[in-house]
Amino acid sequence: MLGNPTFLFIQTLNALALGMNMFIIAAGLTLIFGVLRVINFAHGAFFMVGAYACFSVFEWSGNFWLGVVGAGLVLGVLAWVLERFLLRHLYARDHLVQLLFTFALVLILGDVVKIFWGADQYSVSYPAGLDGAVDLGLVHYPSYLLFLCGLGPVVALGLWLAIAKTRWGRIIRAATQDREMLAALGINVPLVYTGVFAAGAALAGMGGALAAPRIALAPGMDATIVVECFIIVIIGGLGSLWGSFLGALILAFVTVFGAVLVPELEMVLTYVLMVVVLLWRPWGLCGRPETERV
Amino acid sequence: MHKILRTICATLLALAAGSAAEESEAIKIGVLYPLTGSGAVLGVPALMGHDMAVEEINARGGIEGRPVVSIARDSKVKPAVAAAAARELITREEVDVLIGGLSSAEGLALSEVARQEKVVYIATIPKTVQMTNEKFHKYVFRTAANTDTEARAMARTSGQIGIEKICQIQFDYAYGHDLAAGFIAALPEEAPGAEIVLDLKVKLGTADFNPYIAQIMASDCDGVASGLWGANFINLAQQGKPFGLFDKVKFVSGGEIGAHEIAGKMKGDYPDNVWSNSYELWYHDHVPQHKTFHDKLARRQGTRETSSWAVLGYIGVQFFEAAAARAGAVDGEALIAALEGLTVETPVGSRTLDPRTHEANTGQFWGPMTKTEQYEFRIMDPVTYIASE
Repeated sequence: MLGNPTFLFIQTLNALALGMNMFIIAAGLTLIFGVLRVINFAHGAFFMVGAYACFSVFEWSGNFWLGVVGAGLVLGVLAWVLERFLLRHLYARDHLVQLLFTFALVLILGDVVKIFWGADQYSVSYPAGLDGAVDLGLVHYPSYLLFLCGLGPVVALGLWLAIAKTRWGRIIRAATQDREMLAALGINVPLVYTGVFAAGAALAGMGGALAAPRIALAPGMDATIVVECFIIVIIGGLGSLWGSFLGALILAFVTVFGAVLVPELEMVLTYVLMVVVLLWRPWGLCGRPETERV
Repeated sequence: MHKILRTICATLLALAAGSAAEESEAIKIGVLYPLTGSGAVLGVPALMGHDMAVEEINARGGIEGRPVVSIARDSKVKPAVAAAAARELITREEVDVLIGGLSSAEGLALSEVARQEKVVYIATIPKTVQMTNEKFHKYVFRTAANTDTEARAMARTSGQIGIEKICQIQFDYAYGHDLAAGFIAALPEEAPGAEIVLDLKVKLGTADFNPYIAQIMASDCDGVASGLWGANFINLAQQGKPFGLFDKVKFVSGGEIGAHEIAGKMKGDYPDNVWSNSYELWYHDHVPQHKTFHDKLARRQGTRETSSWAVLGYIGVQFFEAAAARAGAVDGEALIAALEGLTVETPVGSRTLDPRTHEANTGQFWGPMTKTEQYEFRIMDPVTYIASE
């Protein structure tokens, strides 16, 4: 089948679209880890709440894009409150306590979703104008997937510019290096933390909203995505933006071509990939070896 | 003062003894369905039907004067979780019977516990034929349809709508394997001339179907046979539509994606050219008693458009009640003897448990999913009942 160039082309686009959607979600995870050093198990739950929020806003307004923005806002506000009143008190504690906290969030948000939306399954329609296919000469390809392929790099570039070129970005980078010095310079470090956590969660929420037209909204939809996100950031390097971009692409290509070429090994391949990367570069493809933080 | 204390203690003791006596009188059902995670979509309504049946029994004065207590556990669609919960129900709660299970893997796990603990297990949803073939034992009964029945109905539908080249896409676990095998076996008789040109196996939990859709689109099939159930079908449908999948192929599917849980929620997103099945349809009165059942369920759910999985939980309890009444006891051996050959009038027709295989002759409603003027969602129309053989 791979001898057929059309087929190869379509599967490549499939991998790109999948990878870009996953990147947007994983970028939030890596951002949160980079600054807060918190391993956020609730990232998948944020993704799920985002998808449901998009569904509700879409039902109410009929506008998908409003749903995406709404999902970002809902998650941003939710995460702001969570960080400000709960998570903040755990930074001085052991990593394990933070891990337990985010894991508790997974369970609580799972129930919250059931309370608000029930145990039913929902679908979200493709946004108007992106519900068909585009003629690419060789083949017709779904326009929504092409949109995702294009959106990923735009988000990556936008985030990179924000972190590398703006004042806020400099503060965030400084926060990853030395939070005490930053505080001494008169920066409100706790506020930076809250903001980054909210932004990371908003990315997960918008990622969920963007995935919503392609997947069913149902309880448990957060289970696989959180594993995939962790694989992505581990391959790419925890805390590295371009690492998660690369990691998402690699995972997507392995998933798509694994499913076609060696369907019985598809799941194993992903983990083999992770093991190989960890053996070769334990700090990930784009990460830096962890130096002792004082 | 001592006197007062003594009186209080004596009263408390009497109360405790009284309630204990009452407790021991109650018949206990251990019920297991997934109530969280991906299986909750089907497990929650199934438990609702179960609870409705139990409440009706108690309103009638219980079974032989004994009230029925139902103790529910979340099986999470995980065989290990289901098995552990079943053991706990038997040893700690001392339940008299196990009812439920969702996936075929759960069904097999629960059946194994039933065999070891010598407690009757009534499988209400799991369909794998393994439970009643190679893994059969006397404690397991099935009120669900089985994969052979479902596969034969799929093959018959494929023949009737004239599919010749078939792409099969099934889950890579017991249910998918058995449905695929049953379909291939039934094809020569039900759809002579039809052949399978592509056989795809998908890991349960897969959310991205694009790699598979591309393979179907690149093949020369004019029909797809599938058993992707619940949310999995929504994933495939939403991803397949923009590729033109449902313009290219006729989609014949088991897994009850004709149920209102799917059609009612997908509304306009439900794709064209789908033929599927359901255990129950709220808008279809196959037998007169369905109307009564539907009225009660509608009151409970607060909508006329009720869930189709509720009937499965309901039927499981119906069989247990009839067997316990027939046996006059709830111990394993007595229940087995009473269940074998038992006939029950369910809301979707009469069902009999075969004394040899311990399976009910459960068929399903089949038909094309059709757009209507009346509703914003699709309904199965026309509806055909395809019985088991």
